[in-house]
Amino acid sequence: MARKSGRSNTPKQTRAIAAQVLAKVLLQQGSLARLLPAAEHELPPNEHGLLKELCYGTTRLAPRLQLLLGKLLKKPLRKPNSEGKKALAGAEVEALLLLGLYQLQYTRIPDHAAIGATVEAARELGHDWATALINGSLRNAQRQREALEKKLSGNPEFSSAHPLWLFQSMREAWGDEGSAAIKANNLPPPMFIRVNRAHESRDSYMGKLQEAGIAATASLLAPDCLHLPNPVGVAELPGFMEGDCSVQDESAQLAAVLLAPAAGERVLDACCAPGGKTCHLLELQPQMAALQALDSDGNRLGQVQENLERIGVAAELVCADAADIDSWWDGEAFDAVLLDAPCSATGVIRRNPDIKLLRRAEDIRELALLQRRILDSLWQTLKPGGRLLYATCSVMPEENAALVAAFIADTADASDNTPESISAVGWGMAQDAGRQILPSETGGDGFYYALLHKAAPQTQ
Amino acid sequence: MAKLEILEFPDPRLRTKAQPVAEVNDEIRTLVADMFETMYAAPGVGLAATQVNVHQRVVVIDVSEEQDQPMVFINPEVEVLDPAPHEYDEGCLSVPGFYETIVRPGRVRVSALDRDGKTFSLEPDGLLAVCIQHEIDHLDGKLFVDYLSPLKRNRIRSKLEKAHRQRA
Repeated sequence: MARKSGRSNTPKQTRAIAAQVLAKVLLQQGSLARLLPAAEHELPPNEHGLLKELCYGTTRLAPRLQLLLGKLLKKPLRKPNSEGKKALAGAEVEALLLLGLYQLQYTRIPDHAAIGATVEAARELGHDWATALINGSLRNAQRQREALEKKLSGNPEFSSAHPLWLFQSMREAWGDEGSAAIKANNLPPPMFIRVNRAHESRDSYMGKLQEAGIAATASLLAPDCLHLPNPVGVAELPGFMEGDCSVQDESAQLAAVLLAPAAGERVLDACCAPGGKTCHLLELQPQMAALQALDSDGNRLGQVQENLERIGVAAELVCADAADIDSWWDGEAFDAVLLDAPCSATGVIRRNPDIKLLRRAEDIRELALLQRRILDSLWQTLKPGGRLLYATCSVMPEENAALVAAFIADTADASDNTPESISAVGWGMAQDAGRQILPSETGGDGFYYALLHKAAPQTQ
Repeated sequence: MAKLEILEFPDPRLRTKAQPVAEVNDEIRTLVADMFETMYAAPGVGLAATQVNVHQRVVVIDVSEEQDQPMVFINPEVEVLDPAPHEYDEGCLSVPGFYETIVRPGRVRVSALDRDGKTFSLEPDGLLAVCIQHEIDHLDGKLFVDYLSPLKRNRIRSKLEKAHRQRA
């Protein structure tokens, strides 16, 4: 009996939608985090899991799959300077092939189903011309799997599934620890939550999780942090909608702890979206005199507002470019500043694997210039005797220790005051300035923190 | 494994009545493997040996969306459990491109041998019940177009004959 045909009027299947999302990432037109929510609307809820798994899984291994594809194709699908429809068609077919290879090699979907459904997805997207190519390439991959992998095994881009520039930078900066971080980048991310200490203690919330049948262990490093070895949806977390807890990485939870806002202080959270650290500051210290939270992206400030409302706290939200202090600063200095700077996000690749496709080596220098500009500007808004926490989720020294060390050398009243331990345990690796955390299998994301002290005027 | 050629209506060989399988041996198991490959590639949810010009009572079926639940029926027998009519838009790999509403009993009991020659029986409903009846019809030389009016059947026949001429 024939399978019911549904080429024309039926909604698109998951693999076709996944290919459209992935094609846009390949063309540098957007990130998974931005594209997926819209794509999910086109599918019934029971397909969202597969869509996510296909998109995230394929991008996580994209550098490896692209090399494999290069060996299977006689000529590249896309010319570097093609535009418009032609570029999109090429990218969609490349995306389909990458998705097909991913399913063949890294999922339990049976080979014939992976190949059949990918060919069918090509038809749905109107690429009938490519069905023979896709079918042939995937069948070749299936047959020659071992020979191809052997041929490519010496290529670091293949074995690490990272673009070469990133592999080399991480090896150069961190040696064997860099290799461990690269391995961690290719694993599904661990889940951490932050218990709202303004509502209840971490121990009491752990009890609630236990009642709900959710396993959790307390972080030794971050005082409000729980590790959930079996990730769950937020809807299953007790009191999530009431703000009893939030999803936030362990390393990210160190920001508010390191800044340690005190009662009555004026505090600035620059580049605050999506607001996880803003909320944490308010949970930690509800008695601040003021908390100003800036972001240059109005849409993302909406997200901050939503998070604040869920937790039931308030901050003064301002949409502005942090570096342009004339546009937003009223001249009253801050006691403490959190600068969670825009960065390459190379420390959070396991959560955003599309960084492997979207980021270029030359971006790092540009980002470092932007970071330095923001740091120089915000330093002026800080009270003498005040403190500024410089943070990134990057593992590139150019954006982190090198940048902060140069800033300290150039700035007479700046000094490094980063503590060696938090909650009685050591953390990260000491640098010329600040401390660096690399992503690890069950630990937090890659983060850099430097707590800078601004000298008070000399008193006689 | 090899992909087999599927006979298309109105090929008279589709009217052959299939013989029971005497022994489930490696020859039959190879046939089963080839039939699965042919069915998945089509793509189809069921295939009877008659359709690949082997006139033995062998049927393969996989109605799952992910195509990971292959089922083998050797010497299948069907018994109607509930005669209440059940409508389904059937298509057939031997009548490519045509889908017509066919009425069959909705719940049946099937007994057959599996690929190791062991007897089993199940009581499917839904698509699997439709599909097993459709495939057993094939083994008896019957096609789903036989349930249609002569007018509809002849129109399908002439369209397919035209397609065959153009391919030849």
